[in-house]
Amino acid sequence: MPTLSLQIPRADIVSQLYPLLANQTCNLVELTWEQHLFHEQRSWSAVSLLQSVNLDALSPIDKANIWNAGRAELTTKPGADRLAHLADAECRRWQDTNPALASVLQACSTWSRYWNEEESFHETTLNHLAHQLGFEPVSDESFLEFRKIFPNDDMLRTLVLLAISEITAMVNYSTCAQLAQDPGLRKLFKQIASDEAQHLSYFISFAKALVDSGEYSPKGAFAITHFFLREDGELQGSQRQKKEQRNTHVNWWDALEYDWDQVPNNLARKQGIIFSVLRQITGIAVHSVNEVEQTWMDLVGC
Amino acid sequence: MLRHYICQSFAQAVNLSAEEIFEKDLTLSEIIAISDKLQNSIDLMESFARVANSLKKEYGIQVRLPALSLDTAISEVLEIFLEEAAITSAA
Repeated sequence: MPTLSLQIPRADIVSQLYPLLANQTCNLVELTWEQHLFHEQRSWSAVSLLQSVNLDALSPIDKANIWNAGRAELTTKPGADRLAHLADAECRRWQDTNPALASVLQACSTWSRYWNEEESFHETTLNHLAHQLGFEPVSDESFLEFRKIFPNDDMLRTLVLLAISEITAMVNYSTCAQLAQDPGLRKLFKQIASDEAQHLSYFISFAKALVDSGEYSPKGAFAITHFFLREDGELQGSQRQKKEQRNTHVNWWDALEYDWDQVPNNLARKQGIIFSVLRQITGIAVHSVNEVEQTWMDLVGC
Repeated sequence: MLRHYICQSFAQAVNLSAEEIFEKDLTLSEIIAISDKLQNSIDLMESFARVANSLKKEYGIQVRLPALSLDTAISEVLEIFLEEAAITSAA
C-alpha cells in the first residue's frame, strides 16, 4: 500500500512551511497532496448532520445563532475567491526573486479551494436549517450584498485579518455548541468550530511563512491586530458604537443581529487566542491590548 | 506651532500638501482616495501612528490614537490630537 502522508509531521508543515520549501524538503505537488488528504479526512455529510437535529428542541437563542451564522457564512466565498486571486498575484511578484516565497503563496492560493468548499458546507447547512425552522430566506438582494468581494490589501495583513476572523468564528461556534441543548445541533456547531480551527492553523502557517521569508514586516500583522483590538475596534463587531458605512463589501462580524444581553461575546477569550496567534506568526510575544499598540507603534516608526 | 507641526507631519505621511488636506477640511475617506500612499483605513491608521511617534520624539508628547469613522473631517482629528497633547503636557 502506498504511503499516504509525507514523512513530515503536520505540525512542522504548519510551523516550518517557508524553510521546508526553501530547503526543498518538499515541493508543491507534495504539499497539495497533504492539503487534499487533510481536507478529505475531515470531510462530513451535511445531510447526515441535518437529519440528527431535532427542530422541536431548539431554543430561541439556538435559532438566532443558526440564522446569524448562516447569513455570516455567505461572506466566506468572496473571502476565499479573493484569497485565491491575491495569493496567485503575489506568487507571480516573487517568482524571480524569492522562489520559495512564491511557492508558499501558490500553496496558499491552491488551498483556498479547500477552504472555499469547507465553508460552503457551513453556509448551505446553516441556511437550509434556518429555512427548515421557518425563517424568511435571505433575500437575493442581501445575498448579492454579502457576496461582494473585498478590496485587495497587503498579503500579510490579509492573512492576519482572516486568522482573526477564524478565531472569532471558532469561539462563536464553540459558544453556540455550549448553549445548544439538542445533541444534533451541538454536534453540528462543534463540527463547524473544528473546521474553523483548522482553517486558522492554515492562516497561521501561511502568515508565518511570509514573515519567515524576511520579505514581509511583522508590522502588518500588528497593524491588523491593533485594528481589531483597539478601543471600539473590529473585534467588538456589531456591538461597536461607530460601525463603518461601506458599500464595497460586508464584514460578517458587523452584520450580526443579536440581543447582546443574551449572548456572551467572549472578548477576553478571543483576545487571548489572538495574542497567541500573533506570537506564532511574528515570534513577538504580547500579553495585552496596550502591548499590541505599543509594539505596532514601534514597528511603524516616524 | 504644535498645530502646524501636526499638519505638516501628517501631510508628509500621506504624501500630500498640508494646504490640500486642511484648507479643504477633507474627510478621512477623501484623503485615502487621493493619496498615493494610502490604500485603506489601515494605511491611514499607520499615518496617524507616524505623527504620534514624531510628536513623542520631538516634543515628548504621548498621543493615544482614537478609532474614527472614515466620514470624520481632518479638522476633527486635528483637534483630538491637540486635546490629547494638551492632556499629556499638563500631566
